[in-house]
Amino acid sequence: MAEKTITIKATRFDPDKDSAPRLQSYDIPFTDEAMVVLDALNYIKAHVDGSLSYRWSCRMGICGSCGMMVNGTPKLSCSAFLRDYWPKPVTVQPLNNFPIIRDLVIDMEDFMHKLKSVQPWIIRKQELPLGAGEHRQTTAQIDEFKQFSQCINCMLCYSACPVYGLNNEFLGPAAIALARRYNLDSRDQGLTKRLPVIADSEGVWECSFVGECSVVCPKGVDPAKAIQQTKLDTTLRFTLPFGNRD
Amino acid sequence: MKAPAQAARAEPRAYRWTMPANWWTRNRHYFLYTVREFTALPMALWLLWLLYDIKSAGAGAANFQPPRSAAFIAFSAVCFLFATYHSYTFLKLAGVIMHVKVLDKTVPPRAIIITMFGLWALATVVIGAVLIGFAR
Repeated sequence: MAEKTITIKATRFDPDKDSAPRLQSYDIPFTDEAMVVLDALNYIKAHVDGSLSYRWSCRMGICGSCGMMVNGTPKLSCSAFLRDYWPKPVTVQPLNNFPIIRDLVIDMEDFMHKLKSVQPWIIRKQELPLGAGEHRQTTAQIDEFKQFSQCINCMLCYSACPVYGLNNEFLGPAAIALARRYNLDSRDQGLTKRLPVIADSEGVWECSFVGECSVVCPKGVDPAKAIQQTKLDTTLRFTLPFGNRD
Repeated sequence: MKAPAQAARAEPRAYRWTMPANWWTRNRHYFLYTVREFTALPMALWLLWLLYDIKSAGAGAANFQPPRSAAFIAFSAVCFLFATYHSYTFLKLAGVIMHVKVLDKTVPPRAIIITMFGLWALATVVIGAVLIGFAR
């Protein structure tokens, strides 16, 4: 009996030789129903073409390294099962909206810069000495921000966002979701430091609520919700006399 | 001075992504989003016409000549459908947008959506009653 195969069409781009990316087809054995797109790429790299470049690390949807366009949809390639596409070919391309460095590898510098600009860490006006004990939180206080803390910085939301695609000055979904995660944290006192970035015209106000960022998020984070709620909060903060808080 | 190989590594020549003009046709959500945003345009035109009509009415009944052509009535019907669709999609998202707390408990999004639709229905009835009242 002939071995079951699947066709993978992967983007190839060598900055030293190519003027534009192109697709290259590979027929590979589809031997296991549990195979994912990342397994297929690893097979190509190990057995067919060792020059294929792509990012990956954990293989279990945690590290956020292996985000790619799978048949036109941003997905973690370690979570995209080949059985969902077979017998049709699977087209694997680098994430949309980012410069392509080589093959399936995108330049994530812009995202890293934006992420840092919202200071996604706990900011305290004055650190208490260790002897003062923990910053205790109730379950309700944790529930306020927990959803947004699930973000793994995979950038699928940026790839799905047409606003970012049309204007890459936009701060973007993940950075705003993470800013909100810390702004909602009862231990944090950094709201006023983040506001100039998130309430800027290229911050939350650039978003026109397409909502696709929340659809593609592999961790169930709802960046669209974070952005819209931040719009409302910042509006109330600047319009109501009791809206200000640190 | 950097060696050529080092300089090339420092500034990799990346392929710049550009958004295709037909991006909004590539995904159902993008298409529905574009339709939602587009509905605002005919509505804005209709409202401009309404403002012109109000100005005419202010100059006296003799000057008030509301458009009665079949084309304008058809345009108004389309605008009504667009306004309904725009309002429906906006109010449906209210549960996502609003983060309301009552007595230190977060109000469920579903309750917010039902309240918003209820207020929409109430506003429609009140405005309708006022307009009918003035017409009499």
